[in-house]
Amino acid sequence: MAQEKSEFLKGTLDMLVLKVVALGPIHGYAISQRIQQISKEFFQVPQGSLYPALHRLEDRGWLSADWRESETGRDAKFYTLTRKGRKQLETELVYWERLSDAVALILRAAE
Amino acid sequence: MHWLRRLFEKQQAEKYLDAELRDHLERQISDSIAAGMPSEEARRRAHLDFGGLESIKQQTRESHRGNLLETLFLDLRYAMRNLQKDRRFAMVAIFALALGIGSSTVVFSIFYSLFFNAFAAKDASRLVVPVIQNTENTGPSGSNLEPLTLHLADLDAVREQNRVFENIVGYIVEMVLANDGSQMYQFSSTRVTSEAFVFYGMPPLLGRGIAPEDGKPGAPPVFVMSYKTWKGIFHEDPKILGKILTIDGEPRTLVGVMPPRFQAYGLQAQIWIPLTRSRDTPRAEEESAAAVLARLRPGITIEAASADLDGIVKRLALLHPDDFPKHFATRVQSATDSLLGPQGGRTQFHSDMKHLLYDLLAAVAMLLFIACSNVANLLLARATVREKEMAVRSALGATRGRLVRQLLAESSVLAMAACVVGCLLAWFGMKFVPGIVPSTGDLYAGGRLGTESGFGLSAPLFFFALALTALTTLICGLAPALRVARTDLQPQLAGTGKGVNGRARHGRLRAALVVAEVALAIVLLIGTGLMMRSFFLLTRVDLGFNPKNVLFVVFSPQVSKNNPSVSLQTFASPQGLLLLRDVAERLKSLPGVAHVSIENAMPGYSPSAGPKVTVPGATHTEDAGIFACDENLVPTLELRMVQGRWLTEQEVRTAQYVGVISQRLARDFFGDANPVGRQIQVKAFKGPSEATQDAEFQIVGVVQDVVSAGPQQPTMPMIFLPYTVRGGFVFLLKTTVEPASLAHAVEEQVWAVDRNEIIALATPLEDFLQRFTYATPEFGLLIATPLASISLLLVIVGVFSVMAYTVSLETQEIGIRMALGAQQGTILRMILTKGAGLLATGIVLGLSASYALTRFLASQIWGVSATDPWTFTAVAAFVVAVGLGACFLPARRATEVDPLVALRYE
Repeated sequence: MAQEKSEFLKGTLDMLVLKVVALGPIHGYAISQRIQQISKEFFQVPQGSLYPALHRLEDRGWLSADWRESETGRDAKFYTLTRKGRKQLETELVYWERLSDAVALILRAAE
Repeated sequence: MHWLRRLFEKQQAEKYLDAELRDHLERQISDSIAAGMPSEEARRRAHLDFGGLESIKQQTRESHRGNLLETLFLDLRYAMRNLQKDRRFAMVAIFALALGIGSSTVVFSIFYSLFFNAFAAKDASRLVVPVIQNTENTGPSGSNLEPLTLHLADLDAVREQNRVFENIVGYIVEMVLANDGSQMYQFSSTRVTSEAFVFYGMPPLLGRGIAPEDGKPGAPPVFVMSYKTWKGIFHEDPKILGKILTIDGEPRTLVGVMPPRFQAYGLQAQIWIPLTRSRDTPRAEEESAAAVLARLRPGITIEAASADLDGIVKRLALLHPDDFPKHFATRVQSATDSLLGPQGGRTQFHSDMKHLLYDLLAAVAMLLFIACSNVANLLLARATVREKEMAVRSALGATRGRLVRQLLAESSVLAMAACVVGCLLAWFGMKFVPGIVPSTGDLYAGGRLGTESGFGLSAPLFFFALALTALTTLICGLAPALRVARTDLQPQLAGTGKGVNGRARHGRLRAALVVAEVALAIVLLIGTGLMMRSFFLLTRVDLGFNPKNVLFVVFSPQVSKNNPSVSLQTFASPQGLLLLRDVAERLKSLPGVAHVSIENAMPGYSPSAGPKVTVPGATHTEDAGIFACDENLVPTLELRMVQGRWLTEQEVRTAQYVGVISQRLARDFFGDANPVGRQIQVKAFKGPSEATQDAEFQIVGVVQDVVSAGPQQPTMPMIFLPYTVRGGFVFLLKTTVEPASLAHAVEEQVWAVDRNEIIALATPLEDFLQRFTYATPEFGLLIATPLASISLLLVIVGVFSVMAYTVSLETQEIGIRMALGAQQGTILRMILTKGAGLLATGIVLGLSASYALTRFLASQIWGVSATDPWTFTAVAAFVVAVGLGACFLPARRATEVDPLVALRYE
């Protein structure tokens, strides 16, 4: 069943990553930190999921990336949301809202 | 340098990925240190957190769609690994496909070399052969279509007047005697118009070909030799050029040797001699007419050329009405059609290679499809077993497209391996092809059809095999791959992974494949069965004589300056008759010769329908063949007398006007009455020395009908007359030894009588039957039988595997049934019924398809209907028996299921 969970997570992770990147150009480490902070340490994003996700999103043209100097003075790979990525994020958010509404409905009905 | 850049880009990407991940690591470490962790501990924790750096990299790399080639390579490697795990499956699949690809390649090679590579000439696709059709004589279909022959003067006229041919050349095939001062040779020789070699455009192996200057009057006499002759008779003597042979009584210098592939102008020509003539040479009446070969101008169609030629020849016919039939039409045929078509030989030879090759090509396509569906079937079975693997891969992020590609990669690995094995098989198979390709029907030019075709593996064949491989990959792999793409893989994970759902649909697809296989195999088997039955009937035709151990010796005076009037009647002169008897005596004295008969026909193929005959008092006439012979024909050919007696030696020697008639003639004119002692009249009889006039013969006997237009044609009325009355120039030798072994001795005896004037052609009579009548159907059978056998074998494998698989799927059900008290017999019946259902469907489909398709085979079969009920029934019964046999083994295994084991099976 482990695979099914990761399958479920994969979609969610993509959406979270898109959402975080939407706030402004950001590098991989910061993305994982931000998700961890905002979710109040609920989500621990393993590197083994993060980087495949980042590269996949970049590959699909939802994120663009460039190397530039970071706040520490070292070069880092910064990700930016593309126009296509913004659209994708919107659809995913809509979908997510509907899903959580539906889940909430079911849970309430089951009580 | 595209790939270099790609490689460079890949290295760059690797470097950036590494940098990105390292950056992350560093940041994490420095953050931890900032939070107060000791630096060593921070580093350790970060690394632990990261897990395997390499595995993250790999996962990240795989999230790229990547370039197609790269993943293709990965897919192929993975497929190879997978197939290695299941060797038995791989072997069976490769074997089946290799048989399909191999057979297809062999048949295609024959097709290719005869249709597209039959001639070594330049621009061979534009070569045409003019043919003439006698429209007055409306005999059996197409029987009156013959290659056009023209007098050289007429050939010049056609060359000048036409607007469609690039050029047109003529050639005359003959037998000549050659003498190099110490040894005598008999050659099949062709005299060609002087530009014929330039026209053909093939460079010589040694020296030069015949040049246009060689045809000018007064040019030094030369000749050119074939490679085979150079090799076989002159042992590849490198200094042979300049050798002088006295040919036709004229010393000629050898100026060139042609390469092995050159065999133009006479399929057996050993030497070529230029025809010497100038523009104003009068149209000599004794000159034989030349066969013609032309090349169309680029862009000219066969129809346009035919119309142009017909107009010119019709004008020529007005000038020389004696040389042409009263009503005729001429047209051109492509050289390939002329070589392979039904008119290539003469009609009594029934050699329709063109349609035979189409049929064989269709057959091999069916075979290939059977092989493919067999492998598709095996792949489907495997796919079921691997459903869980597919589900896991899909859960791990593999897209459907990727899974489909993966499966296609597996089938392409199979197909590529099969291509290699199949090419090897084809290579072996093709070694036998040149030996079985039938020859054309020309008496002197009995060469193989493919004399000039380059049989063997060539670039086009290689591409063909590759294309087949791609095609088989798609056909085999697509069904299972699409299935994976369409099914919902999710339940596979939830369930036991045995793939309960979708099994029924799956089974239906596999069953459909088996049904299709059975149906196609039936078509192949019925086609082959019809050809077999036809061939069997053909070889069982009562010829009316026994061709076994008979040597056929054609005996004719040489065309030479000493003997200008060459006529087959020459031997009817008093000295000619003496000469014939002299030779006959000598031949009779040879050891191994039992009987010698002098006559004028080739038994089986002549005489052709000749003069009209009638009997006094009868109201009708009939066309009858005239067979001139002597008293020894009956023992030589083992003819069977029906009534009366045969000609006596006395009657033959004194040239009495007596004759023996065939049964058919007797029946037509005398009904049940005894014809012996009655008279028969031959209208416009042409004796050797007398003018043409009606002649009466006394009938002394009746003999059983003898085949005279090939075994396929019905016998016709025939009269046997003394050769002294009619003229004869053929010896038939009944031998007690292998007749071919006597050929040389016969030649020596003939030359002992007259060393310079006579040439002889000695061939066993059975060889002619083989060449003219049996070779083409036999060739068809030799190709079709292996194809049908292979298809049957594949079907057995297919039925067996689908049944075995069904049984293994239903083990549980069988176990339950047995636990509830089902008898073994019931189980056996249950499984067999399932198999029989598949077979029955396939057989019904196959029989209907055959019923519709065998008519395309009609030109290849003789004496049996294309929908022959016996063949259909026999094949259906055979397939039922073999198919049930293939079902029986898995069914037996089902009955041996232990209910307890079966119930615990899952």
